[in-house]
Amino acid sequence: MILRYLKLWFSLAKFSLLGEMAFRGNFVVKIVVELLWLGMLLVFNFTIFQQTTQIADWKVNEYLFFIGCYFTMGGLMEMLFLDNCNQFSDLVRTGDLDFFLLKPIDEQFLVSCKHIDWSCAPNILLGLGVMGYAFWLGEWELDFFKAVLLVVLFISGMGLAYGFMLLLMSASIWMMRNQSLFEMWWLFTTLMRYPREIFKGRFAEPTQLFFSFVVPIMLVTNVPARVMVKGLESSWLPWYAIGSALVVLGVSRWVFRAALQRYRSAGS
Amino acid sequence: MGAIRKYLKILRISLVERLAYRADFFLTTFLRFLPLVTTFLLWEAIYTGSEKDEIAGFTRDKMIAYLLLVQISRMFSSMPGLSTGIARDIRDGNLKKYLLQPIDLLWYLLSYRGAHKIAYIATTALPYALLFFWFRDVFDLPGPWTWLAYFLSLVLAFLIGFFFEACIGIAGFWLLEVTSLMYIINIFTFFVSGQMFPLELLDQYPGAMEVLNALPFHYLAYFPAMVFLEKKQGDELILGLVIELAWAIALILVSRWMYRLGLRHYSAYGG
Repeated sequence: MILRYLKLWFSLAKFSLLGEMAFRGNFVVKIVVELLWLGMLLVFNFTIFQQTTQIADWKVNEYLFFIGCYFTMGGLMEMLFLDNCNQFSDLVRTGDLDFFLLKPIDEQFLVSCKHIDWSCAPNILLGLGVMGYAFWLGEWELDFFKAVLLVVLFISGMGLAYGFMLLLMSASIWMMRNQSLFEMWWLFTTLMRYPREIFKGRFAEPTQLFFSFVVPIMLVTNVPARVMVKGLESSWLPWYAIGSALVVLGVSRWVFRAALQRYRSAGS
Repeated sequence: MGAIRKYLKILRISLVERLAYRADFFLTTFLRFLPLVTTFLLWEAIYTGSEKDEIAGFTRDKMIAYLLLVQISRMFSSMPGLSTGIARDIRDGNLKKYLLQPIDLLWYLLSYRGAHKIAYIATTALPYALLFFWFRDVFDLPGPWTWLAYFLSLVLAFLIGFFFEACIGIAGFWLLEVTSLMYIINIFTFFVSGQMFPLELLDQYPGAMEVLNALPFHYLAYFPAMVFLEKKQGDELILGLVIELAWAIALILVSRWMYRLGLRHYSAYGG
């Protein structure tokens, strides 16, 4: 069963890559855009750290690692899922979702994994490069346990982010005119773009707690990045992140299926 | 007179059209405050970490005021979808509707955008008013002349934003597809217009301020905000406004020239 889906995913990935290679110019432009965006983030980062030695309790190389982590995570989400989820509202509105439902494959898999946006792959490499550079600057020690923990927490962060994306996407069945998933996602992920420690103050602190423990989008990049740069400060938070990823994945699947029940094949 | 009435009518129709999707409008407007709030928190953390009262000549309060004011600047100067729309019309052959009717593409789109902006400002006035009221302590209300200069700088920012993007769209006569180009320009503009942070922060890089001052982009966000904060005064203010006006006129002329040139090149694809 898992092998079958893996094989299918590789075929879809290969097919997407062939499609991408037909428009090489577009591919190059997208890479330039991402390079510019990362360059801007880094200039912003270095400019700020000329003025201060730390942001909340994140020092320059630690913050750099956080940015790398965010960029890698963002790149993976965009490459694997964002484009697919963004097209979902169109599938619903036009009734083309019928073709997906008729196939003998899990609908969630097909809807969210059909197309792999290879032009985002360089983001992942860039993000990993920044993480590596920060790692080298920080001269941190990396033992086997920490490396495994980082990978596990990173994957759980991806699970969380995917779950939230699926929830936002499912909402398009109810809203029909949900054309701004791309924008909604961008706005929503603002919350995973910064360390949670910057949320200080009368209203910011409860907001931080809400988005860390009730709707835990803030844990997506914060937990893996923090464990890497500060070590295992809390014994329960990584477990909470992994547990919440499993819960969000379960809930999002349930909501997606419930949303499909309401689908009325509008265009057909 | 008749021509003005015609474009005013377009403005009214577009206004009604924009207001048809109120719920969508309000939802995204509220969500749009999220990045702003996190930016404030980031700057709070930067000031706390630096243990300084001022960074690049900005106190903590003035930095928040600046970040709020660049939102207003961009409300006037950002033109989402304008250049890609023009390029699409050229590519699809839809441009001929402007050629067959007694209507000019650029003036029509200017009226349309004007309506879009009025509707946007009207519908976001309440959340923005609440936000500005919340942060009222960070502002010192300027005098009437500064208000006038601020308003002028915003109107000119609208014109610069519009005609700059129109030029990119018109480049579609030769490029056909400008979406990718626009992505690059948008990211670049976000940085060099001062939307991300006050350009004074770049003073530490030699020559950076001189280059940015020579470009029109800082008029899209940075300059109007600095006018309101009264950080541009006297001769500097007047000179700034005159150069802004010169940029607006230059871009109007360039866009019209490009459009004329493009029409000669145009072969009305799409039948």
